[in-house]
Amino acid sequence: MPEKLKEGDLIEVSVDSKVLRGILMPSTKSALVLKLENGYNIGIETRKIKNIKLLKQPEKKGKVLEKLDLDKNLKNVLILHTGGTVASRVDYKTGGVSAKFEPEELIELFPELKKIVNIKSKLLFNIFSEDMNFSHYKKMARAVYDNSDKFDGIIITHGTDTLGYTACALAFMLENLHIPVILVGAQRSSDRGSSDAFLNLFCAASFIAKVDFVGVGICMHDLSSDDNCVILPACKTRKLHTSRRDAFRVVNGNIIAKVSKAGDILELAKIPDKTGKLTLKDKLEDKVGILRLYPNISTKQINQFKSYKGIVIEGTGLGHINKESINAVKNLINSGLIVIMTSQCIFGRVNMNVYSRGRELLNIGVISAGDMLTETVYIKLAWLLANYSKKEAKELITKNLRNELSERSVYEEKFIEF
Amino acid sequence: MNYQKLGFKCGVECHQQLEGKKLFCSCPAIIKDDKPDFIVRRKLRASAGEKGAVDIAAKYEQKIGKEFIYNIYKDCTCLVELDDEPPHEVNKDALKIALQISMLLNARINDKIQFMRKVVIDGSNTSAFQRTALIAMDGYIETSKGRVNIPTICLEEEAAKIVEKTDVQVVYNLSRLGIPLLEIATDASIKDPEHAKEVSEKIGMILRSVDGIKRGLGTIRQDVNVSIENGTRVELKGFQELKSIPKVIQGEIDRQLKLIQKGEKLKSEVRNAKPDGTSEFLRPMPGAERMYPETDIPTIDITPEMMSKILEREINFDKFLIKGLDNNFVAKVLIDIPKEIKSRLNLDSSKLKDSDFLLVLNEISKGAPRQAAIDMLADIIKDGKLNVKKYKGVSDKELESDIKGIIAKNKGASINALVGEIMKKYHGKVEGKKVVDLIKKLS
Repeated sequence: MPEKLKEGDLIEVSVDSKVLRGILMPSTKSALVLKLENGYNIGIETRKIKNIKLLKQPEKKGKVLEKLDLDKNLKNVLILHTGGTVASRVDYKTGGVSAKFEPEELIELFPELKKIVNIKSKLLFNIFSEDMNFSHYKKMARAVYDNSDKFDGIIITHGTDTLGYTACALAFMLENLHIPVILVGAQRSSDRGSSDAFLNLFCAASFIAKVDFVGVGICMHDLSSDDNCVILPACKTRKLHTSRRDAFRVVNGNIIAKVSKAGDILELAKIPDKTGKLTLKDKLEDKVGILRLYPNISTKQINQFKSYKGIVIEGTGLGHINKESINAVKNLINSGLIVIMTSQCIFGRVNMNVYSRGRELLNIGVISAGDMLTETVYIKLAWLLANYSKKEAKELITKNLRNELSERSVYEEKFIEF
Repeated sequence: MNYQKLGFKCGVECHQQLEGKKLFCSCPAIIKDDKPDFIVRRKLRASAGEKGAVDIAAKYEQKIGKEFIYNIYKDCTCLVELDDEPPHEVNKDALKIALQISMLLNARINDKIQFMRKVVIDGSNTSAFQRTALIAMDGYIETSKGRVNIPTICLEEEAAKIVEKTDVQVVYNLSRLGIPLLEIATDASIKDPEHAKEVSEKIGMILRSVDGIKRGLGTIRQDVNVSIENGTRVELKGFQELKSIPKVIQGEIDRQLKLIQKGEKLKSEVRNAKPDGTSEFLRPMPGAERMYPETDIPTIDITPEMMSKILEREINFDKFLIKGLDNNFVAKVLIDIPKEIKSRLNLDSSKLKDSDFLLVLNEISKGAPRQAAIDMLADIIKDGKLNVKKYKGVSDKELESDIKGIIAKNKGASINALVGEIMKKYHGKVEGKKVVDLIKKLS
């Protein structure tokens, strides 16, 4: 491929006895990809190409974005943009879907949002959620903190893969949060007409507009249908499906609200009161990890955490590990680690008093996580160890701080809905 | 009507469903229409394509703002059809058929095949786009009125079938969505309305020549693009049968001529063919900016090894175009009859050579009855040769005089009795229908 050619150029390619005309798309060394006039992309092996002629370079169009007028009667909402499917489009370089939206484009694409709330939007960063780490949580928490007095609510667009971790981290980092912060993801990218991004955003905005909620929530589809969305609790929600629109479900808890496609609030749980002054506690301890127990596990797996300050063990059943691992865990605790036990059953509560193995673990100092999610305990432990003394952390891990731990296991006919 | 003078331009698109599994999941390619197991409701929005522009057709659909209801059948729809799971790998069997057909249509197969998302937001695709790939280009077929080019051969997903439509919602049957569909498009070189029918027949015949093609009502559909000078391009679809194609095209020409005469501006649109030969407005013509790459499916390399395994039996239909015989009959002799010989008569029809088919077709064109084709071919397999005399046609004159004689001999006999008498003598040499007609004429 001649080097002076650029993606987007209109070119003519001579192959065999044929001349093909089209727009140059991202290509590889071995094959040139051409977008034909009929819209189709085809690949042509470069060794077959006799000649390439440049016909026209693309015109550069300056994009004029609509200026937003503020409506004094509406709440002011800030959309913080972090990347992910909710605001993604096709990437020519990789051919994959990637986050490449200017924040204003979101409003241009979803003009209905303007009727519910006054929107301002800001690009924090633009990454896939699997690439997020504690430094990103800090940036997000800081952005919420800095804007919490200027806005009535904040929406954070986020990739779905690790959205649950982020929601939980923000809930802990922003103590006494006095506005709603709703994380919104999408399972179908917004470059397609079937995207769930719009309804999720719309319902999040409607919820902020109509409910004086305080704290962190997640807004996603209730079911596969585009009927309702649910506002989910930050620390009790898990992505339980790889691809469905309704992938996010509450584990050991209840939804905060159900919002219809018309923006009506269909169901609403008791909203917590505003308490105290917002404090930003944005430190997180890096030396915290998760260990998932499995049959035939090597003690080497456990020993690798020696230099850590705390780990969450996702044990079996009510909170167990195999006989061979006990000594290794004991050594970790003796060297100063806080060890918390959750269950890989996902649903239900850890109880280490039932079997002798559990009691043995309690005796060596393993702490039960109750009905908290593994992911939640991981974030909570990292947050406690960074902001409190070890002694305090050990006490607080078993206390309910952000609705992450419930005392009662409420009966539902089906503990999981589908 | 002088179509050349009219500036008549016409092209045909044939859509053929394939058997087996769906294109991007392992659901069986079957269509159900009983009570659905589940229902899912969705809304779709117009989205900007690769070049940033929203398609006109897409905008039109969004303005209507309908809700879509999808009927779900557990055994033939899954999360892929529901747009709740990314597509699986492309169905290799369907791809193979697409390559076979491309070769039979003398087309140049692309080195690399990339599936695209063609924006469709009328709800017929839950994803709001149809997955489609350009498999081959620059094919052609020969017809009685010269060569007709086939610029594109595509492999795509069949859309969901409409069940019910009101002002606020459309109900779709999701079982049809995702069935592999071959799209064969000619250029605008079709000469006249009758020619459009011939071209459709010929393409249908080539499609039937490979295994894995769905047969029966609704499994093949034709879209016809028509325009005349000072008029505009209109797409006609929904033909019940090939026979109606010339009439509907003629109706569209007349409609456009009338509007041109009145000085009205014609709109490029998609129209639905009605059984009475007229057509009605369906939707505006979609623009060109409606495709972007399907990034969930990696590009497919078409290797020489893959191609070498593609063709099992190649039929060069052009060799068999014999004056006086229509394409459909020729296709029947070449494709359906060998299958029947194998299944019903238990004979090895793969022994038949092109020259055997030619011999039989020639005899039929000279007057041997059509229904004798299977016996003639069976004889060739059994005896190694064809006794031409056994099936020699009878001249009309000879037949007429004989019939007259038999009517005279059997005065008062019913038509059925007379037919029986004559067929006893001419079994396998004349067609029953012809005998009935002659008796009616002569008695």
